[in-house]
Amino acid sequence: MNLAVKLPRGLVLKNPVVAASGTFGFGPEYRDLVNIGRLGGVSVKGVSPDPWPGNPPPRVWETPGGLLNSIGLQNHGVEAFCTHDLPYLRETGTAVIVNIIGHTVDEYRRVAERISEEPGVSALEVNISCPNIKHGGISFGHDPDQAYLVTEAVRNATDLPVMVKLSPNVPNPGMIAQAVEGAGADMISAINTLVGLAVDKHRRRPALGGITGGLSGPAVKPVALRVVYEVAQQVKIPIIGMGGITTASDVVEFLMVGAQAVMVGTVTFQYPQRMEEIIEALPDELLSWGFATLDEAVGSALPHKKEGLPHESP
Amino acid sequence: MIQLLQVPIIRREEPAPGHAELWVQSEELAEAKPGQFADVVTQGMLRRPISFSRIDRSNHQVALLLQVVGEGTRWLAAQRPGTTLDVMGPLGKGFSAPDPHRAWCVVGGGVGIPPLLAAVEAWGSQLSSPPTAILGARDQSLILLAEEFSASGCVVAVATDNGTRGHRGTIEEPLREWLGLHPEGQVYACGPTPMLKTVARLTNGRQGVSLALEQRMGCGIGACLACVIPGYVDGAAGYLRVCTDGPVFRAEELIFE
Repeated sequence: MNLAVKLPRGLVLKNPVVAASGTFGFGPEYRDLVNIGRLGGVSVKGVSPDPWPGNPPPRVWETPGGLLNSIGLQNHGVEAFCTHDLPYLRETGTAVIVNIIGHTVDEYRRVAERISEEPGVSALEVNISCPNIKHGGISFGHDPDQAYLVTEAVRNATDLPVMVKLSPNVPNPGMIAQAVEGAGADMISAINTLVGLAVDKHRRRPALGGITGGLSGPAVKPVALRVVYEVAQQVKIPIIGMGGITTASDVVEFLMVGAQAVMVGTVTFQYPQRMEEIIEALPDELLSWGFATLDEAVGSALPHKKEGLPHESP
Repeated sequence: MIQLLQVPIIRREEPAPGHAELWVQSEELAEAKPGQFADVVTQGMLRRPISFSRIDRSNHQVALLLQVVGEGTRWLAAQRPGTTLDVMGPLGKGFSAPDPHRAWCVVGGGVGIPPLLAAVEAWGSQLSSPPTAILGARDQSLILLAEEFSASGCVVAVATDNGTRGHRGTIEEPLREWLGLHPEGQVYACGPTPMLKTVARLTNGRQGVSLALEQRMGCGIGACLACVIPGYVDGAAGYLRVCTDGPVFRAEELIFE
């Protein structure tokens, strides 16, 4: 089965399984354990114009079915990324998606411009939704007007395909999605992590150094499916779905609610080769649910697609 | 080289209450350096980093000594010979071989003791004088592997918080005394952060002080930036990764708050 995914502005993924930002480093880290060229793409950790220190440790805490993190977007800045990491990544043959972050609209613009000067980058993912960065109490992903401004600035700074990563920590993710679509985003990726908190009973304080953290892993999958399902009915641009995917069966669920591709993250920490296993298993998994192609599955569980389904009861 | 391995447990011991030492058969893990670690799949979302208490290169066996601190380690400690573990390793930077011409002291606290046994078993006999092992814990029952340190030729000093064995108190007094007697001596330490902070303070700037650290860890291979500790990065204050920059650091690389 041909698993290639055609996305806007000529972006083609050889298959719909992409390493999620934050879980796959800046590119070379997993080289001994993962055949990176086999992946549909890699979205690197968030890259800012200048280095960011990140949050104080501890930065991770296990929760039932999930993982709470407060890394705080530590990164060594766009110049170091372009010098140290990108040269390796662009040789792997996978689609290189650079996740970009900033404190201000202008910082997003700066990093987008700098990345656009580099060969071998397939797309930008604009991270307006990391729950671990407090920026005057407002994160760009929580306000449609702010989300519009950031997206518009990045759009004007690059010819690369632009996807915007949505937060689930808002009452109506669809409103943010419509705002970024209006500002020229080519794609949506969803979801980022859910804000949570864990308690360290020994030390009688919140467990994470950053106090709150972002929840990922299988525990968040129903939330992620709900957001993709809603957003898919509110925008026309493609969606890359993610949240708690650990199997090819999970991938089919995300495709059915409207995602054209997916990202896989938290499970990689425990099973680094799981993404490759999912890619291997996906054709049979699709066939087992009656889909002869990837496209047939996309959106098949959305309301408007249900009419005419052969085995649906009257 | 880091590998994903399926390794059988061949022996299980309980060296102290709430602890288990799992011997596994693995040619690849037996190539590890003392201070490196294995990252083991449990029932939870993350692997558990466990250091090697023994590395038997000739028989292709290593031992993983762990303390039960939560659900993951409880599951792991309950595994029996015949079970196969899903292990990634060997990981991290281990200890460097000590200078054979200088006195050597290893200082271990609680479940930080095991990797130091692997170190003295590897290098203790190469030194011109026998190494000293200062082992600390809350109670005598938690002093791990003291007999094995003796059997490896170490002079062993024990400190317990409650005075049930050896010096009453922390490792501070025995270490201070040893440092006074060995002004050129080198120190390798592993244990809780307050203990390592004490070692760093007492050895203040001396060359040859190596500290092995612990931190809650995500990926184990340097990708997620979860397991960081404060230290000097290119001369400036920042965060170092325990999994790949460590877990063994030179004392002068670290910043203790």
